[in-house]
Order: sequence, then C-alpha cells, then structure tokens
Amino acid sequence: MDKEELKKQIYKLIEEAQGKKKYKQMDVIKHFRALGVSDAETKEAIRELIDGGQLIYTYMGGSYIELASKLEKFEKDIFK
Amino acid sequence: MTKKYDTPLLDELEKGPFPSFVTEMKKAAAKNAMAADELGLLEKSFRDKVTYWKHGGIVGVRGYGGGVIGRYSELADEFPNVAHFHTVRVNQPAGLFYTSETMRFFCDLWDKYGSGLTNFHGSTGDIILLGTVTDNLEPLATILSMNGFDLGGSGSAMRTPSCCVGPARCEWSMIDTLDITYDLTQEFQDELHRPAFPYKYKIKVVGCPIDCNAAIARADCSIIGTWKGPIEIDQDRVRDYAKKGMNIQEEIVNLCPGKCITWDGNNLTINNDDCRHCMHCIAKLAGALKPTPPFGATILIGAKAPFVIGATLSWVVVPFMEMKPPYQEIKDLHRKWWEWWSEYGKNRERIGELILRRGMREFLEISELEPAPEMVKEPRRDPFFFWKEGDLEGKPWEKWLK
Repeated sequence: MDKEELKKQIYKLIEEAQGKKKYKQMDVIKHFRALGVSDAETKEAIRELIDGGQLIYTYMGGSYIELASKLEKFEKDIFK
Repeated sequence: MTKKYDTPLLDELEKGPFPSFVTEMKKAAAKNAMAADELGLLEKSFRDKVTYWKHGGIVGVRGYGGGVIGRYSELADEFPNVAHFHTVRVNQPAGLFYTSETMRFFCDLWDKYGSGLTNFHGSTGDIILLGTVTDNLEPLATILSMNGFDLGGSGSAMRTPSCCVGPARCEWSMIDTLDITYDLTQEFQDELHRPAFPYKYKIKVVGCPIDCNAAIARADCSIIGTWKGPIEIDQDRVRDYAKKGMNIQEEIVNLCPGKCITWDGNNLTINNDDCRHCMHCIAKLAGALKPTPPFGATILIGAKAPFVIGATLSWVVVPFMEMKPPYQEIKDLHRKWWEWWSEYGKNRERIGELILRRGMREFLEISELEPAPEMVKEPRRDPFFFWKEGDLEGKPWEKWLK
C-alpha cells in the first residue's frame, strides 16, 4: 500500500470509529499489521497525519489519536 | 486594574512562619487578570469544598502529543479569565541550572502569555507554567523553541527525563547524570512528544545510591550511579570520627545490610565481596571511605506509587552497566522494553505492572539479559528460571554435578 493510500485509510479508520472506539497509536499499528503493512510504515503515516494537522493526540486518561476537527467541538461543548 | 476578591480562607494560609503560595498568587493577581480570577476561584473551591476544574482533553501544539495539559473551569461565567487555564510543561535543563537571564525570560514570557504563576519545578522535573488559553499555545511553543527550549512530556509517553545535579556540584556522583539525561532526551524525542505507549514512562538518573532524586521510587527506569572497585579506607579519619563521638559499631557496622563491615575499635575492615553498594557507610563516614573505579550504573525497572499491590520500588535488571557516550546499551534496552510493553501492555498499565503480570522471566528473555543474583528481590520468590523441553535434552544438570 503506498503512503498516501495508507494515510487515507488511517484517517478513515479514526473517522469511522468516532464516538464508538478510541484508537491508541499501537491499536492503529496492529490494525494495519494485520493487513500486511509494516509497523514502521504505519508509524510514519500517522506522524505525517499529525504533523499535517488532520489528526491530533488527545488525552482522556490515556493518549489517543483522534480527528483534529474534534478540538473546536470539544471547546464549544465544554463551555455549554 | 484586576478584579479583587475577598479571600478569608486563603488568607489563613498566609499565617505562620512558612512562605505562602497565597502571598505569591496575590502579588501576581495585582497585575494579571488570570491570576486574580484564579485566586477568586480557589477561594470559592475552599468554601464549597468542590474543585471546579475540568482536566484533560485535546488542546496542544501541532505535532506534539504532550507538553500541554488542558484545564477548563466550570465557572467560566463567574471567573471568565480562567475559563481556560491550561498548564504548559517545559523541558527543564538537566540538573536545573539557569542563568538569571533565562529566569527573567520565563517570568516575562509568562506575564505576557499566561497567568504569571509558575512552578519551578513540577514533581516530574519540568518547568510548569500554570494557566494560559488555547490561542496562546502555538505562539508560546514557537517562542520557547526560538529560545532553545522545548515542551516536556505528558500523557502516554516518555516523560521528560530528569536527574540530580550530578558531577556539576556533587562529590559522590559516579556517572555524568547531566550528560546521560541530555543524551537520552535528544535520542528519544519521538517517544517524548508523540505518545505511543500504553501509559506514562519515566526515566530518572542519579549519580550514586544515596539517590537524592528518589529515582528508585519514582521512575519506571532508574539509572543509579555505582562503583565496582573496593571501598578505599582512610583509617586515621575513621578513628577521628570515633574520637569525635560517632559510635562506629552502632551507626555503621550494625546498619550494614551486607554485614560486611567490622570495627575493632581501631581499624575498620570491609569485605567488599559482600557489599550491597547501599553507600550508607560512605555517606556517614564522608572523607574516610571512598568508592573506587570502575564507575557505572545499576539499571532498575518498574517503580510506581499506587500499584494494586501498593507502592513499589524499582527492580534491578542490570547490576552494573558502563555509562559512556553514546550510551548505546541503555538505549537498545529501552527500545526492546518499549516494543514488548507496547505489544502486550493494557491501556494505563505501567511497565512494572506488565512485568508483574507476565513475569520477570519473560521480561529478561525479551531484554536478552541473563538472570543474576543481584536481581533477586525476595529470596525463594523470584522464579526467573523455568525449564523448557529443549533445555532438558541437553541434560544441563550433568555439567553442574561435575
């Protein structure tokens, strides 16, 4: 799988899991390992998604990877 | 002009002989609206016996998974200046050395971008800048970076490594704690800023077994300076201690955990083979006893305060490791440990807990370390060794019987 495709799939995985499951970095790595993608490739793709601002790290008792768009909604909700 | 609140309960904390954080907060509150509202909110919390802070969340600096701890007040309408009150952790210099110019930089920075309230330092060791708003985080990180500083660790990541003052100011230091800390921090930037572990991981480096930083109790990995040579004895100075009133038998000999010291009233002898390297005698008889090279470090793993089984000290895994740059051995070990922990660790499970769950034997196997007597924590209770079928085929007992 080429890197751009992998990034799309990682993003899709996190997007579809919203509200149902929180993914830690290792969960994402294990998910794509089962599909034959090497750990290093997945790690690099996650890194690019984070640096590109599409995904962010969140902390809810542990550190997770979530959609960057969640930040704005989070701050709106918290002041309700 | 900042808003002024009546704080009768907090005022109580200014009484007595000790410095008071309330006094310092009041000074900040005179010129900073965030500090003023923080004071008002704290008084209300004391009065109502309720904390109004919401902790955690998702604020941060792009590309970083740590360094900012999101905090919000539930009482944003009543105390609007502390609606956001995020904490920023900044990676401290090893050994906590600053020039006065650097201290001024931090004070000015925090007056401008935050509440003016700081904590030098947090228990992890970081510089703690208390209270800022989300919009200030990016410019703040940029300014810190331009001035040679970086954010520290938080979340499920390697936390900012910390150390004692080491050889910079201490005669006992047997390793260069400052250089090791700096080197490990640089090497593991990804692990520090991109949380990928099941939970937090702390490294603390101390120069000798006196362990001023309490690494053995507070760090997942404690790197503790030690020595391998015999303890050098200056008998005249030992006698001098005795003459000045020290009870050598009671205070030194009887407290030796290895029972390896004898004192006949004139001469002190040490059986170095039985020495446990606790350093009690050396510290008490400063100048009379001295550790000798080779110097290195004992590597321990797995401390944590509130385990299910209670507070746990870390466990020796490498009795003696040479600590010379580029510290490849300790770096390689960490990579093996982290791979295993990331693979098998449950969410919020520290590495020490995983070792307890899956066993020290497996941990030693993945570390590619041979069991050694120094690793035994409790005699007859540490089964590092289980026979596998392959081992028995070689009939190893025959070798031992010979």
